Amino acid sequence: MSEQSKDLSDPNFACEAPNSEVHDSPGVPVGIPAYDSPAATPAAQPQSPPLGPTAAPQAEPEPQDPSDEGDPKAQQQAAEQGRAHQSPSAAQPGPAPPAPAQLVQKAHELMWYVLVKDQKRMIIWFPDMVRDVIGSYKKWCRSILRRTSLILARVFGLHLRLTSLHTMEFALVKALDPEELDRMALNNRMPMTGLLLMILSLIYVKGRGARESAVWNVLRILGLRPWKKHSTFGDVRKLITEDFVQQNYLKYQRVPFVEPPEYEFFWGSRARREITKMQIMEFLARVFKKDPQAWPSRYREALEEARALREANPSVQYPRNSVSED
Amino acid sequence: MQSSTRKMGIMTDVHRRFLQLLMTHGVLEEWEIKRLQKHCYRVHDRNATVEKLEDFINNINSVLESLYIEIKKGFTEDDGRPIYALVNLATTSISKMATDFAENELDLFRKALELIIDSETGFASSTNILNLVDQLKGKKMRKKEAEQVLQKFVQNKWLIEKEGEFTLHTRAILEMEQYIRETYPDAVKICNICHSLLIQGQSCETCGIKMHLPCVAKYFQSNSEPRCPHCNDYWPHDIPEVFNPEKEREAGTSKSNKKSLRSRQH
Repeated sequence: MSEQSKDLSDPNFACEAPNSEVHDSPGVPVGIPAYDSPAATPAAQPQSPPLGPTAAPQAEPEPQDPSDEGDPKAQQQAAEQGRAHQSPSAAQPGPAPPAPAQLVQKAHELMWYVLVKDQKRMIIWFPDMVRDVIGSYKKWCRSILRRTSLILARVFGLHLRLTSLHTMEFALVKALDPEELDRMALNNRMPMTGLLLMILSLIYVKGRGARESAVWNVLRILGLRPWKKHSTFGDVRKLITEDFVQQNYLKYQRVPFVEPPEYEFFWGSRARREITKMQIMEFLARVFKKDPQAWPSRYREALEEARALREANPSVQYPRNSVSED
Repeated sequence: MQSSTRKMGIMTDVHRRFLQLLMTHGVLEEWEIKRLQKHCYRVHDRNATVEKLEDFINNINSVLESLYIEIKKGFTEDDGRPIYALVNLATTSISKMATDFAENELDLFRKALELIIDSETGFASSTNILNLVDQLKGKKMRKKEAEQVLQKFVQNKWLIEKEGEFTLHTRAILEMEQYIRETYPDAVKICNICHSLLIQGQSCETCGIKMHLPCVAKYFQSNSEPRCPHCNDYWPHDIPEVFNPEKEREAGTSKSNKKSLRSRQH
């Protein structure tokens, strides 16, 4: 990902720009209020690919894209944006808002336009888009652009990305695949993730709760002991029995009917929401340098879950590998 | 829009990559399409069985329908080779070309198109086209320039050149059929067999109906006494052979085939 590239959902400035002098805007045009919308930077969740959940909720009300966290937030922002956008031009009576069908048609025209420009290896320049396609619908170019990028992602697996805010150039790129994202997240993020995944995978592989003793056996691989303070993790015991539990990643419960008292770990509700079984399998494969299919029944479960997820969310799919041209 | 996607075909990464690459190439022959399909399966879904091409394409088309685009299958008019292109069905303008060419260049194409449609053979001579250069809209264009523009059309697969004469590339026919039928309803010729737009073909000298060469080949296949389907008069022309992809591959080593294959690839 180029440093300068921004997600389309991010710079909604794109439509303010034509109102100010397009050609000479050196930096960020006026209309970019706090656009670093939390919905547009889902870095916190390793699982959500940048385009899907963010673009989806910001598009026209399309109930099939439930991205739980993003939706209400982003729609609220969209409403705010709309309000903010309208106030400066409230003075002049604007043209009547077009029928939704017309906006949809414009989005389709724009999609084709972008595809052809890309095919011809021509620059996709925003002012050209406005002049050649959007035309009198300039005021609604934001929603048109959003819908277009949504279609491109869903149907073609392509990302309409603003490559240069300064020159207003877009490019069509292959969408970043979720696995690369995960790898990035896992490597760069706090090592906590590795620790957590270790425990979660142990629980998963056992198929039931993992006794604390078993967990410590595994953590020994990382050189962690319950009584030792670790340079990175600090008090590991506190971390896994309190912090992770508080964050709902783990559940720490007493094993019933056992004396002296023993405790075991389960997956927390947040882990179940954020982490897929397939990710666990892949983590295991990496750690043990085995094929994920070395745990056949677990792998089967992971496949089932993946299929169920795909059917529930047909929108969130991207080319899995980086593209090699024919 | 999303709800219709759900009910009809399912887009997977295999389909998406296929679409991406088809879009990149613009137009592909059937053997290239099949290879492309296999490639996409190999990259994204190694273990799945490769769906039958027709179903595969229909699946994608059901998703594209609401976007007014379609993977269209056509046949080259001269030798009946099946080709595929991603086509924009919106006929408001010469949409695909509009982004590539200046106003006067587009007008040159329109003039050439009219000459081609009006001609008997489906070909318009370079001279006749260039003589219209003065009537073009937009910036004035010299004949020398116009020659280059015509070559640009050939390179971009809108026109085919044969011995100084120009006709429509199959891709242009696929893309613009609707536009042409709506813009030139009186001048346009239709094949009597397949009812599609006809640029090159054979005609009955008695009643005037026309047929594509590949349509003639199929219709009169192994018929020793070919007769016009309309007026039953003796069909006066040579009957071409039906396109056979197997023979094509065997003869693949022959120079002319290699050349035409290469020219079709980017």
